[in-house]
Formats: sequence, C-alpha cells, structure tokens
Amino acid sequence: MDAFEAIKATFFQECDELLADLESKLMLLEQGQTDLETINAVFRAVHSVKGGAGAFGLEALVRFAHVFETLMDELRGGRKPCDTVTIKTLLRASDVLADHIQAAQGLAPPVDEERSAGLVHELELLTHGGEAPPVVEEDEDDFGFTPMAFDAALDEPLADLGGSGEIEVAASEAQTGWRVLFKPHSRMYGSANEAGLLLRELGRVGPTTVSVDAENLPTLDILVAEEGYLTWTIDLTAEVDEKVVREVFDFVEADCDLTVSPLGGAPALEFEEEPPAVLPASDDLDVAALLAKAAGAAPPEAPAPAPAPVAAAPEPAPAPAPAPVPPPVAAAPAPTTAPVPPAQVAAPVAPAPVTIRVDLDRVDRLINVVGELVIQQAMLSQRVLESGLARSSGIALGLEDLELLTREIQDSVMAIRAQPVKSVFQRMPRLVREVADMVSKQVRLVTAGEDTEVDKTVVERLAEPITHMLRNAIDHGLETPEDRVAAGKPAEGTVRLAALHRSGRIVIEISDDGRGINRERVKKIAIDKGLIAPEAALTDEQIDNLIFLPGFSTAAVVSDISGRGVGMDVVKRSIQALGGRISISSVPGKGSTFTLSLPLTLAVLDGMVVSAADQILIAPLPAIVESLTPQESDLHYVGGVDPVIRFRERFLPLIDVAMTMGFRDTPVVPNEGVAVVVETEGGQQAALLFDAIQGQRQVVIKSLETNYQQVEGVAAATILGDGRVALILDVDVLVTDMRRKSGRPDFKLAS
Amino acid sequence: MKKTVLTVDDSRTMRDMLLMALEDAGYHVIQAVDGIDGLETLAANGADVVITDINMPRMDGFGFIEGMRADPNHRTTPCLVLTTESDAEKKARARAAGATGWIVKPFDPAKLVDAVRRVAA
Amino acid sequence: MTDAIVLAPVLDMNAAEPLKAELLARRGQAITLDASNVERLGGLCLQVLLSAHKTWAADGADLTIEPRSEGFSEQWAAFGAPEINAQDLIEGTLA
Repeated sequence: MDAFEAIKATFFQECDELLADLESKLMLLEQGQTDLETINAVFRAVHSVKGGAGAFGLEALVRFAHVFETLMDELRGGRKPCDTVTIKTLLRASDVLADHIQAAQGLAPPVDEERSAGLVHELELLTHGGEAPPVVEEDEDDFGFTPMAFDAALDEPLADLGGSGEIEVAASEAQTGWRVLFKPHSRMYGSANEAGLLLRELGRVGPTTVSVDAENLPTLDILVAEEGYLTWTIDLTAEVDEKVVREVFDFVEADCDLTVSPLGGAPALEFEEEPPAVLPASDDLDVAALLAKAAGAAPPEAPAPAPAPVAAAPEPAPAPAPAPVPPPVAAAPAPTTAPVPPAQVAAPVAPAPVTIRVDLDRVDRLINVVGELVIQQAMLSQRVLESGLARSSGIALGLEDLELLTREIQDSVMAIRAQPVKSVFQRMPRLVREVADMVSKQVRLVTAGEDTEVDKTVVERLAEPITHMLRNAIDHGLETPEDRVAAGKPAEGTVRLAALHRSGRIVIEISDDGRGINRERVKKIAIDKGLIAPEAALTDEQIDNLIFLPGFSTAAVVSDISGRGVGMDVVKRSIQALGGRISISSVPGKGSTFTLSLPLTLAVLDGMVVSAADQILIAPLPAIVESLTPQESDLHYVGGVDPVIRFRERFLPLIDVAMTMGFRDTPVVPNEGVAVVVETEGGQQAALLFDAIQGQRQVVIKSLETNYQQVEGVAAATILGDGRVALILDVDVLVTDMRRKSGRPDFKLAS
Repeated sequence: MKKTVLTVDDSRTMRDMLLMALEDAGYHVIQAVDGIDGLETLAANGADVVITDINMPRMDGFGFIEGMRADPNHRTTPCLVLTTESDAEKKARARAAGATGWIVKPFDPAKLVDAVRRVAA
Repeated sequence: MTDAIVLAPVLDMNAAEPLKAELLARRGQAITLDASNVERLGGLCLQVLLSAHKTWAADGADLTIEPRSEGFSEQWAAFGAPEINAQDLIEGTLA
C-alpha cells in the first residue's frame, strides 16, 4: 500500500525531528532547566514516537518507548524527582531509542537485546522507585494493540433508520434480543453526544422498536431545556452479545442511565432495585413510565446495576496519586453565560511559522533554472554592451534593474535550500557521550550558533568532518581527568562547537580546553615520517598544520576512537571537496581550536576570470592571496629549470597553468603574464601564471562530473556571459598533485 | 455534501494517517498542529466532527476541548479524543472537558471511520 | 387562525433553550409549528416539543406540527415519539 509506505517514511522523518528535539530538551534538563514544560516536551517526543510506532506495528520500538514514556509521565507528574542520575539515564535511553528507530527502519541491525533490556530495567527502577517493578505490566499495557473498545457490527443487516419506529416486533415473544432502557443525562448532551444518534447506531446492530416515555417531562414553563427527562425503551431483536449492545453506549455510559436485559426473559426491567412486583404487566409505555419515575427518584449517581463486563468502571478508582485533574464540571453545564477562557492557553507564544513541505527536486530544478537565468541575463548584458548602446539608454538601465532583480531571485532561491546547522549539531551530544565513555574522560559539550544557516548539501556533508574533529578533540585534545586536575583544571573538559557567518562563508569552530598541540612531538613525527625536512624552520602555525598532512597520526597509541589511518588529512580533504578550508590554532596547555570555513552554497562561486592560452578559466576567489606582475629580478630557476618567484621574502613555485593543463607546449615568458598567488587549504602557497586577468565575477557552478567526467585540476565549469564555457580551477590539485606528477621534486614547506 | 473533519495533532505521521483514512472514507479533512491552532482553525472553518490528540505543545487536547465547548458555535460539535492511553483516568478527564468519545491508538482506518460516523449527525 | 412558528433547520442542544422561550411566549394561544425546514432533530428539542404538547394540552389549546420535512418525520419516529397532531391521532397515520 503506497500511501501507507509514504506515511511510514514520514514517520521516520518525523522521528528524526523528534529525536533531535528530545536530545536538545534533555540537554536543557542536564543544564538544570528541569521545569515542567521541558519535561513535558520530552514526554511528548517519546510519546509521539510510540504512537507512530504503534500504528506501524513496530513492536520493539513501542515497547522501549513505552517504558521510557512511563518514567517521563512519573517525572511530569512530579511523582519522581528529575535528578542527575535520572537525567543521565534518560540521555542513555534516548540513545537506545534512536537505535531502535534505526533498527525499525532497517538501517541498523536490531538493537542489542541486553543493552535495551538493561536500560529498560534502569528506567523501570527509576519509575518504580527502587522497588521491583510489578510483574504484571504486560497485560494492562495501554500501548497494546488493543482494538478500540467499540466494534459496531458492520456485518449485521442495517436497520432501515427511517422506519425503525415502525418495525413491529412483538416484544413479548421469546425472541432473542435485548431490551435497553436508556435515559440520557444533561452531561451526555453537553459532550455533544446525541440520543438520536445512539438510537440510530443501535438500529445498525439489528431491528429495533423504540418507544419513549415522557411521563417525567415537566410542563414547558418549568422545563430546563438542557436537562434530560426522557427515557427510551429499545427492543433490539438481534442475536448479539450484550457487549455489542453496550458498546454502542460506550462513550456515554457514565452520562446516562442504562440497563440492558435479555428480551423475553424475566422482566428485570429497572434502573434501580425497584421491586418488580410493583410493575403492572401492561403495555410498554406504562412500564417505562414507572421505571423512569423510579429512576428519577433515585440518586443520580447510582450506577447501573447491570453487570458491566465491558470497559472498566468509568469512575477512576482512588488514583495512585491525585493527578492534576480539573474538577469535573458541574453536572449540568448550564447555558454558557460567559465564554470560559480556554484554560491552558500558554503565556504569549509566537505563532508557529507557516511552512510547506516541498520536494527537494523541485527546489533544485528551480535553482538550476535560476542559474540559467543568471547566465542568460549576463549574456544579454554583454550583447547590449557590445552593440554600443549608450550606458544611459533605456535598455541599458532596464538591464541594470534586471540584473539586480536576477541577483535577488538567485539569493532568494538559494535561501530556500538554506538550513540551520542544528540538525548536525544535535547529533553530536550523543557522540560526545559515547566517546567520552569509551576513553574514560569527562566531557561537556557546549554548542553555539545552531541556527546558522547554510545550504542543505553543505549541512549534510558537515556531519562527518565535525564528528571526526570532535572525536579527535576528546581523544587527543583533552587530558584524562587526573591529568587535568594535576594541571589545575576542572576534571571535566569542555569541547565547544560553534557555527557563525563570516564574510559570506560559514565558519565552524571546534575548540577544546585540553593540552594543546605538542609541537615538539608533532615536528618530530613529521620529520620521522619524512613529511618535512629535518632542518626546516617552521612557525608554530605551520607545525600545527602538519597534522593535516596525509599519513600523520599523533596518538602514540592509536585508539579505537579516532581509528587507524583516518587522520586529519581525510577531514581536510572532505572539507576541501566542499570548497572549504580548515585551520588550527593551539595554545600549549590551554587547548586547540579547529576552524572550518565553507561556502554558504555549492551553487555559486566568486571567482577571478583569467585567460591562459586561448582558454578562459576561473580561479576561486577564496584561494587567491594576491596577484602581481612578475619582475625579472624576482624570478629564479631552481636547478635552472623550475621557476620560483619571490613573494614577501619567500620563494614560491611559479606554475604555468597553460602548460600544466596542456593548453600549450611552450612556457609563457613570466614577465609577460600575471602571477596569482594562491593558498591551498593546507596553507601551501604557490603562484599561478596566467596570460591575463579579465575580471572578477560570481559564477554559477555546473558540475563537470554530471555533464562530462572528472578532469584533474578542474573543479567544475561555468558558462560565461558570452556563452563560452569556462573551467573552474581546482587550485589545490593544481598546486600539489599535478606539480608532483609532472616529475618535479616535492615541495617542502618553507623550502 | 462532504462532511468536514478537523484533525488536531502535533505529529505529522498521525495527521497523515488520519488524512488518508478519512479522505478514503469520503470526508473532507482540515488539519491543525496543536490546541491553539485547532481553535483558530475551527473558528475560521468550522467542522462537522473534530478529532484531537491529547499531548500537544502550546495547548493540549484538554485545553482545546474546553476552549471549543466554551464557544457557542462549537459546543455541539462532536469531538473525539485520540489517545494511546486506554486508562479510565484519561477518558474521565477528556469527558469532563467535554469530549464526545475517544479513539484508542493505534487505530485501524475502519475503526476510526466508524467512530466518526457514530458521532456525526 | 394561528400564527406558524417556523422551526430552525438544526434543532440541536443550542436550539433547545431558544425554542423553549419562543414557545413559552405563545403560551395559551393555539400554535402551528412549521417543521418543513428541519433537517436535524435532537433529543433536547424533542423534549421541548413534547413538553409543549403536554403543556398546551393541559391549557386546552391546540398545538400542531405541520408541515413536516421528511427528515423531521423520520427522526421523530426513530425517537419512538408519539403522534401529537390531533388529526394524525384520529387518522392513525404517520406523516
């Protein structure tokens, strides 16, 4: 069933949101914000998971959620304290709940039985306050797949409603069926139940004969319009269980007098213990009238004497603890005099923002088309310019407006894809807990800037590098509690994860208050591994950044956490793949800060338009440090072959892009071209030699991989205003890999 | 004329399920995400039958029903409460607030539709 | 001759009190209730009508419900309510 599957998909999507919400609310609890609203929010999240899981028959999930929810219910009822021990357990329970959800989705193997059962036990201990939990839990579980309490027999022939009054069935005949006496109270009408509808429903069970007794009805002047005076006698001729008959009145049982007795049996026809002998055996109406009289005289609260094997007594038995139940409204909700203010309207709440859900494909299509629009607009502008129209002409002015508008459309469309990084940040507390447990360190995670928005694709791809860096910070950055105390720091280390916008990019900072980078050791390892020359004189910053080199691992003991072979170089590469850069700063004894900087979107790029041979290329602006015209005096040739250029008292390799890319075979004379100093994500600098710089512009990125194939040294392509295709350079590959391939000796830092 | 059912539930999953079941049964469905939204939607659109969840942010199901019953236009509109709890206390509270009946979750579509039919005039 | 009171289409709980008031205002006069627009008849309004019938009978005045919509007649019968129009009782027919 497609629709069903679709809803199931929605459910799991919603579970993700609920889990995120759960996590953040639990964090608040952990921070001491144990107010009722927060506890309630946790309850609701678990409750919703359970509700949905029940609908899809995800039993393991339902069971776990139920135990979780039961404890939350105790907490919100104030029956159990929301103390540190409890909160820690809740946090771990939320992790197991998440695992159950994963398993239910088929994304993970079933949750380890022992682990789940262990937490269930812990939750139950907390719920039942140290005593052994009652063993009987199972059968009266309210989460069970209990069918609804009513089951109108749809298979039964439906009585003709209109004519039901006319169906003549001699009640005296020993026919199988039931005689129902029914007297609605005012409260029944007050809850929008209607006597007529109940009669109609009874008519669906089988043929009925209905009579009404109006004996108790006062004259109009003293009649209370919303009081119940009438009593109905309904003879139902249908071979059904008494249960089926009672189920029709399931909703109103507490708000009416009701007896159900077998038809044709002993005339046990009373609401109350009225001696049957009093009843004259005359026609139904008179009997009913007498009965009604008796009923009227009886105390209104008197329960129906008939055995009620169905639903439990509606009056709650002495509740375990008086829950905050509003006192039942007076029996007769008199015609409302003044509108009662809704009781539970929370203090001023901001209206929920109106949202719609849109398929991502549609958004991407829109973004694509807008990209084309930007290109078309640029082409049009260029044509107009070339045609020699005066700048002040109406057309040129109109085009300028169009350009502004186009840019605005583009920004707005990009904003549709923008999402807060919250979704990624919220996954981290759990990770931190697990890693901290594994390495036996005490860690507090502080997050900031969760609402910072960035393109959806970027958000999704942030999770992995952040995960890795957090692990790294806990595993390598923080000291053991003992070491920390010895160093005069609190035993609990702090890891901070923050996001912010800075000059058109998103910056993610991961900092710890640990030991900082041991530069001596880092340098030694780098030398030992042949990553740098032993005599290299490096600045502190350069040493710190050595950890990003491939094959570098600082941990003397490679732990399970950071994993063997997955070093910071992998992180760096995945960040670079997003057009980002990563850097580190560290203060010995005080801690380290990793800073990631990423473009807000992967769809547009600010670039410098340059030419090399006959090609137009785009150099990503963020990688560019400076551009200069090479002077003869600044040029040197290493070994007489490889050109280097002096830049700020250092020599940088000078890369002839046209040659490297294979656009031509002879090198350009350096001082006839333009050198653009670029910096790779790893901090390496080099100068790229082009023929000329044509300008700077924002370009729409078109993937080469989807349209053609990956080309080394080329990150993507774009279409220029004049319709020409321009390649966007992959500066990092150009500076590091391609140079290496061309057989030149590896570039050593600060050579 | 199609009857209109207003569903009030903070869970998208549950709203979708209700929508599917009720539309299949020929009802017109309008939705709200919590009690406050529910009262506003009801005031703006009216409904022949209302189905509401109990546990919701901002305003829960009890508050919603009380608010609804305080409005002369909707004091006679049938309102079914969705609840996973089949315990008497919840039902009694819902009834005290003015609920017409209840639907125990998880429900199957036939039972849901049956419950709606039972209370719909 | 009597003035007809036109009954509202929906005679639910909300309609009971106003209906009672409207009828009481005519107490002592013979009245005809026009039920041709009635779509829905609830238990509380049924009470008001039956009580009015009783009251008018005690006062010795006529109270007739006529004409009646099909829905009204059907629901009246489904309630098992007795016929109250004098001529109907004589003729022994349902509307």
